[in-house]
Amino acid sequence: MTTESLYPFLHAGSADRAELLADVARSTREKVAEIERLRAEVLAAEAEALAGCATAMAERFARGGRLYAFGNGGSSTDALAVASLCLDPGSGRRPLPAVALPGDVATLTALANDVGFDVVFARPLAAAGRPEDIAFGLSTSGGSANVLRGLAAAHERGMLTVGLAGYSGGEMAEAAERGELDHLFVMPSASVHRIQEAQTTVYQVLWELVQSRL
Amino acid sequence: MTAAFARRTAPVAALGADADALAAACHAMARRFHRGGRLLAMGTGAAAADAAHVVVEFVHPVIMGKRALSAFGLPDGGSAATVALFGGAEDIALAFSPDGASPRLADALAEAARRGMLTVALLGGGADGSGGTMARAPGLDHAIVVPSTDTRVVREAHVTAYHVLWELVHVFLDAPEVLT
Repeated sequence: MTTESLYPFLHAGSADRAELLADVARSTREKVAEIERLRAEVLAAEAEALAGCATAMAERFARGGRLYAFGNGGSSTDALAVASLCLDPGSGRRPLPAVALPGDVATLTALANDVGFDVVFARPLAAAGRPEDIAFGLSTSGGSANVLRGLAAAHERGMLTVGLAGYSGGEMAEAAERGELDHLFVMPSASVHRIQEAQTTVYQVLWELVQSRL
Repeated sequence: MTAAFARRTAPVAALGADADALAAACHAMARRFHRGGRLLAMGTGAAAADAAHVVVEFVHPVIMGKRALSAFGLPDGGSAATVALFGGAEDIALAFSPDGASPRLADALAEAARRGMLTVALLGGGADGSGGTMARAPGLDHAIVVPSTDTRVVREAHVTAYHVLWELVHVFLDAPEVLT
């Protein structure tokens, strides 16, 4: 949707402050309704798969496995949030070992500078990953090369691989079809913002389900 | 599973009811950016991720053609001391507190207000969905409160809230006649 269709008043010429405020408030309510619809769609499509993924993740944690989360940009902050959620879950919940790879700035910048950005997640996973571990990759497009290579390196080492993507899943969906990705959750939207919001719900619900299984 | 998703519905829907408050906050933020102000983002724990996320939204917009705006995360997640070190009178202090109970960020916002900065808080928590003690921080200009005590659900609504904040700031910047 273009700015013009969302805010017709803005493009009609000189904007009136009160009308523009009313316009953007209406647009905000539409966005809230849109994310609600997207969450409902994800629930309808993925309820069983989420339960299965949580069971598999809990099984790895029970075997002493660690979770490695990774992504770029906004998704890198989601990786940080996943790790924070696992490490510091609040009272009455079990802390779980999790690492956000984008938080290791020394390794990330060393690899990006010396080798290339495509390997920044694959290399640390190849070095540290064990079969009881979990790789958790986030990419709104499903096509981030370094996330795909990270998941591939994790799969080669026998790790459980979980991917979160948007749109139609992109190359992540192709990796899942080839059997190289154990669990893939696609947020069926073309808005990067709504995709990220739905992904936040998916990883937090997954975490809740994992907690309930441990 | 259905219950886990259902728990999210009302708190996120409340953002829609808060649309006028969000619009007012964005209008005030756009006025600061228009005057050369910068966004200083604050949050600790899981909310540190949101502070980092809102910075990348403003600095590197996902929507082509939108210009970069100056934003950065305070190095210690936000405190009165770093607000004093970095904050200018034209700037915006934006704090995230999903439980609404961070005395440190309340102090940081109070310091920001003393320096003439615009203060905005994305909150949750509080016994009655009131946003906790931070909603009553002295000098707080705009509070967006998600009525839930589940800090994870609050975070999810905050992600939508700051995506909207970013988009609406640009809508207002595209109409400079409403910024004076």
